[in-house]
Parts: sequence; C-alpha cells; structure tokens
Amino acid sequence: MRVGIACPYTWDVPGGVQAHVRDLADHLLGLGHEVSVLTPVDDPDAPDLPLYVVPAGRAVPVPYNGSVARLVFGPLSLTRTRRWLREGGFDVLHVHEPIVPSVSMLATFAASGPIVATFHHASTRSRALQVFGTALQPALEKITGRIAVSPAARRIVVEHLGGDAVLIPNGVDVARFMGADPLPGRSATSTVVFLGRIDEGRKGLAVLLEALPELVRLVPDVRLLIAGPGDAEDVRAAVPPSLRDRVEILGLVSEQDKPRVFASGQVYCAPNTHGESFGIVLVEAMATGTPVVASDLEAFRRVLEDGRAGVLVPVGDAGALAEALGELLGDAPRRQALSTVALEAVQAYDWSTVARQVVEVYETVAAMAPAAVHVDVDPELESMAVDLAAVDGTDDDAGRLVATLRRWLSERRAAVGALGDRTRS
Amino acid sequence: MTDLLLAIAFLALLVLYITWTAGRLDRLHARVDAAEAALDAALVRRAAAARAVAAHLPPGAQADRLSAAADAALEAGEAHREQVENDLSRALRRIVPGLAPRPVLAELETATTRVLLARSFHNAAVADTRVIRLRRMPRALRLAGHRSLPQFFEIDDTYDTPSTSASE
Repeated sequence: MRVGIACPYTWDVPGGVQAHVRDLADHLLGLGHEVSVLTPVDDPDAPDLPLYVVPAGRAVPVPYNGSVARLVFGPLSLTRTRRWLREGGFDVLHVHEPIVPSVSMLATFAASGPIVATFHHASTRSRALQVFGTALQPALEKITGRIAVSPAARRIVVEHLGGDAVLIPNGVDVARFMGADPLPGRSATSTVVFLGRIDEGRKGLAVLLEALPELVRLVPDVRLLIAGPGDAEDVRAAVPPSLRDRVEILGLVSEQDKPRVFASGQVYCAPNTHGESFGIVLVEAMATGTPVVASDLEAFRRVLEDGRAGVLVPVGDAGALAEALGELLGDAPRRQALSTVALEAVQAYDWSTVARQVVEVYETVAAMAPAAVHVDVDPELESMAVDLAAVDGTDDDAGRLVATLRRWLSERRAAVGALGDRTRS
Repeated sequence: MTDLLLAIAFLALLVLYITWTAGRLDRLHARVDAAEAALDAALVRRAAAARAVAAHLPPGAQADRLSAAADAALEAGEAHREQVENDLSRALRRIVPGLAPRPVLAELETATTRVLLARSFHNAAVADTRVIRLRRMPRALRLAGHRSLPQFFEIDDTYDTPSTSASE
C-alpha cells in the first residue's frame, strides 16, 4: 500500500507523537509498504532526516494548553499539503492529531478518500476540541476510521466527536529492551529505578522520596537510581542527609541507555500521581524483565493486567509504596514470576503486533472508500474562476460579472434540486 | 439599490449554505453506505470462517451449535441481524483453540478483528450523519429526502484472541 502520513509537530523536536510516527513509518516500510511523511521540519538539510520525510516548512511556536506548541498554518503550508496529496497517489491518508492546527488538519481539509486519524491526546481539558470542535466537524467527518492510542484518548474522542474509535496501543520495540545489561560497573542488587522528569510533580518522585526512610528500614542496603531531566539539587534537598549517599541521580539519559537503566534496578518504580494516558515507560521496563511497582492509575492497571504483570499500589501512598517495594526486593521468586508474566504481556505492545493492527485498519478503510486519496476540486468554483478570469477590463465587465453570478446562483439552485432527487430515489 | 444588493448577497449566502449542507449530507450518506457494505462483508466473512472452524471441530454439541449459529448469521435478514450476530459471537467465544487447524483459526481471528474495525467505523459514520440529520434546517427542508435515519449496529464482538485483547 502507498501510505501518506501527516505528523503535526516539528520532526526534529523530540516528542511522543513524532517518535510514534517515526516508528510506525519504519515498521510499515519493513512490512513492504510505501510511506511518505509530511511534517514541519526545522532543518530540512539535516543528514539524519529519513528519506520518507517531506518537509512542510518551519513551525511557529504558539503557547497552547500550558506548553508551547509549534504549529504550521497558512497558504504556503496548504499549497505544500495539497501538492503532497496530489503527487503522493496514496491508497490511505493517515493523519495524526487532526485537531491540532497543523499539517494533519490541512490534509484532512484538503483530501477526500480513505482517511485514518490517530488521536494521541488524553487531556480532558482539550481546548482545541472545546473551542473548535463544531468548526472542525466538516473536516473531521471526512475521516473514515479513527484510532485512539489509549482508553483515555478514546474517551475524549467519543465525548467531543461522538461515534467511536478503535483502540490500538502505542508500540514499543520490545527486542531493543529485552535482555539489556545493567549500566557499566553496576549491579542491580537492592536497587530501585525511577525514570521520568524529576521536576514534574505528576511523575511522583516526591512520593518515592517520602517512602525512602521506611524502605531503608525494611531493606537496609537499598539504593535509589534516578534518571530523567530536572534539577538534581532539589531532589537531594528533599532527602534526609543521612540517606543521601543511597540516592544516585543520573540526569537525562539517552534513548540508547534507557534499557540499561531499567536493567540496573531490581525493581522499576512508577509512583505517578495522575495524568498518564498510556504508560509506555512501564512497557519498556517490563520488556527488560525488571519487575514493576506502579501507582494504581487506570492506564497502569491496564498495562499491568490488574496486577498480574506487576505490583499496583494506591496513588500517592508513600507507606504502601515502601511496603510493596520492600516486599518485592526481598522476594526473588515473586520477582521472577512477575517478570515472566510481564514479558508475555508486553508482546501485545510490540511494534510488530501494533503495525499489523494499523495495517488492518488501512485495509478496512480502503475497502470503505470508493476512490484512493485525492484532492477535491469544486468544478463549479473552477468554472467560475475561469469566467471571472475572462473579465478583461472592457466596458461590459459589470454586465458579465452579474451574468456570471446569476448563472452560478441558478446552477446552485439546480444542484440542490438534483441532490434532493438523488437521495429520494 | 443597496437594499436590493444586500438582499441578493444574503440570498446567495443562504443558498450557498443550503447547497453546502446538502452536499455534506450527501457525502455522509455515501460514507454510511460504504461503511454498511464493508460491515456486511466483514460479518459474512466472519460467519464463513466460523463455518469452516465448525467443520473441523470433532462432532458434538459444540460443533453443531457453532455451525448452526454461522448458518443463521449467513441467512439473517436486516431485522434480526444484531441478535443473530450476537449468538455467533457467543458461540465463537466458547470454542477451544487447538481443536481446529491453525490456518482456519487464523482466518477466523482476522475475520473477527475486521468485524470489530468495520463496526466501529460504521458507527462513527452513523453518528456523524445523525448529528447533521437531526438539525433543524436539514429536517425542515428535507435535505435527506426519503432516506431513513441511519442506525447504529450494536453487537458484542469482543473475542479473546491475542490481537484483539490488545486492542480492546
């Protein structure tokens, strides 16, 4: 199949949607499909830009939803989008986050035919949907098949747009994580790993630090390995001085080192307090075979299969967290059992499974639309443009203009009648 | 003169809006029709796959039940379709994997996933169409002609296979 993918966010800025699109494109290519990705790009001459990327121009930073979104809009982007659609000859158009004012939205407006949309966003305060939902409806109703990456994202879609969306989870490259070794010169013994932004409250590092004194009482040689961007000094300040030598802060780790960070712990801890829609980081940890202790959030409960594939603790409860961590660190057979179940559970999130499901959506959608993806041209408007172009500055311009408009009006009326007849028959 | 021009402009806009809505409704109905056809094809494919599985099961109550449910699904008319397809879903959930050859079960698995997808996309198309159909202007002007209001297709199509359990 020829698949055109529209990614709304700037390709060379790290982000979840971009990573998803890149992995999806790579796996579709691996399955033998042809892929083209239209996306804003800051540096179109970057040597590592994949061949399938078609730059749609530079994005403009706009404050949105509490952070800075980088958006693309305007006549030039629209022209590029239309040209990409026309020249691509796609069997399926796959737009990501079509409610974000960027190339996905432009492509949805411009194209007709089999269109798949993936919704990643899970915040209940989706301003774009609240404000523009009705205005976007004519474009959104052209979408043939909707995908949501999590139950939370699906709920947003159903609430704001009505109808339904199929659930296809985010993919993880399980093989990249499986069997990872600990970081050099390190043993995982009695080590608890935390990975996430350390200055972002909802990641819950504060709960883990609060649990530390009790955890030390339960497991005297316990160590805490913290990885993620943020101010390390703030973390150290939150730890009692006598326990500071047990906490090691790695700072930001590269994508390549991530599997080894998980493997450097005997337990991976995700004490998040809220706002997780999927829990991809849990799946990654599980793929390395490191057992997981996580907050009992809806998304985590799902990934951990209600506690079969990992331990769930009440959200924000430091005492319960210390107890669960202590118990698991002292119970090797249970860690082994959880790890075995987890390795089986993550197969459902492997890109090979996920990409196959996406292709099934493409095939279903392609069968539902009469023609391949194309750009709509309104024939009446085109003919009107031709007529108006003929207005050449001679004396009876005004007369011709009126005649053109009059004819156009009567054609419109006839069109209404014809439509009525067609639907009645 | 100005009044007349304004009136003409207003009339033009109104006609433009009505034709645009009529065109929109026409496209939505086409989408529902295509989705209905795809859903029908997916259901037929599932019933055929179920019949193939039934043929491979050891003779007995389970095989009889499944093949009866598959036949009923293939012959069902519009009126009882949901109920009959639900019966088939139930019969399918009871079959024990391993009793039929792998390719036959694999086809059943693909067919069930397709039903799940086709039904979701069909119901989304119905929802989008109903929103416009139920507005005052299209109803008053009968922009939909005599087309009946599209109906949702509701069955329980969850089926515990590795691929669908990941997506449900």
